Amino acid sequence: MSVYILCLILFCIGLYCVLRKRNIIKIIIGLGIIEYAINLFFVLVGYRTHGRAPILAKDQVISNMVDPIPQALVLTSIVIGLAVTALLVAIAIRIYEKYGTFDITKIRRLRG
Amino acid sequence: MKNKEVGMTLIVKTITRLTVGLILLYGIYIVLHGHLSPGGGFAGGVIIALSFIHLMLAFGKEVALRKLSESWASIFESLGAIMFLSIAVLGFIGGYFFLNFFIQKGKPFELFSAGIIPLCNIAISLKVGAGLFAIFAVLILFNKSGDK
Repeated sequence: MSVYILCLILFCIGLYCVLRKRNIIKIIIGLGIIEYAINLFFVLVGYRTHGRAPILAKDQVISNMVDPIPQALVLTSIVIGLAVTALLVAIAIRIYEKYGTFDITKIRRLRG
Repeated sequence: MKNKEVGMTLIVKTITRLTVGLILLYGIYIVLHGHLSPGGGFAGGVIIALSFIHLMLAFGKEVALRKLSESWASIFESLGAIMFLSIAVLGFIGGYFFLNFFIQKGKPFELFSAGIIPLCNIAISLKVGAGLFAIFAVLILFNKSGDK
């Protein structure tokens, strides 16, 4: 149970980073931390105590494996996270070109 | 060694020249053994792309783009997608989508016994490797083309 709480703490660190920081690069890092907290949670849901990796090898009996389905799901999630991070970095580069800063409080054209 | 400002220092360049081929071979090994051991198309493709990114970080973007230019990366990426789709569609000659049409029943733990699965892995690795390299190259080339 305590590992799930540690996952929640990691998620909250990422959420703090996204909501509180002003630098865009730090926000992207915070999104990465959130993503890895979710991935860790998924893998831990499928874990069982003293389980083996779900790899079928020669002369090895299938017993006490961890659940492979969350791991396959997390693999897909890592791919999507890679694409999202690349997109975010591209948008950040474009914003830096246009405004000359990474500070989100200075990026505003609409002064109201 | 003439243009020292391009790329990193001499130590990094020497180590890169020694290791980049090994990284590429390791990626190809991961791809070809994807149906037997952990790994497969995505992981091997990422390692193949990382070897080119390694080259780009150490020697600067001209050397890496001379090895694999971004138009060739785009061609390889599209080729991987089309190859995966055509393998899937070729299963219709036996009646099903994604039918393993080479063999009926493979033998476990043998390298050449899996039918279309290694071909699918090769297609995925082409797509992932070229795509990841193209993403990195485009992020680097962004600065040059974007200032207007």
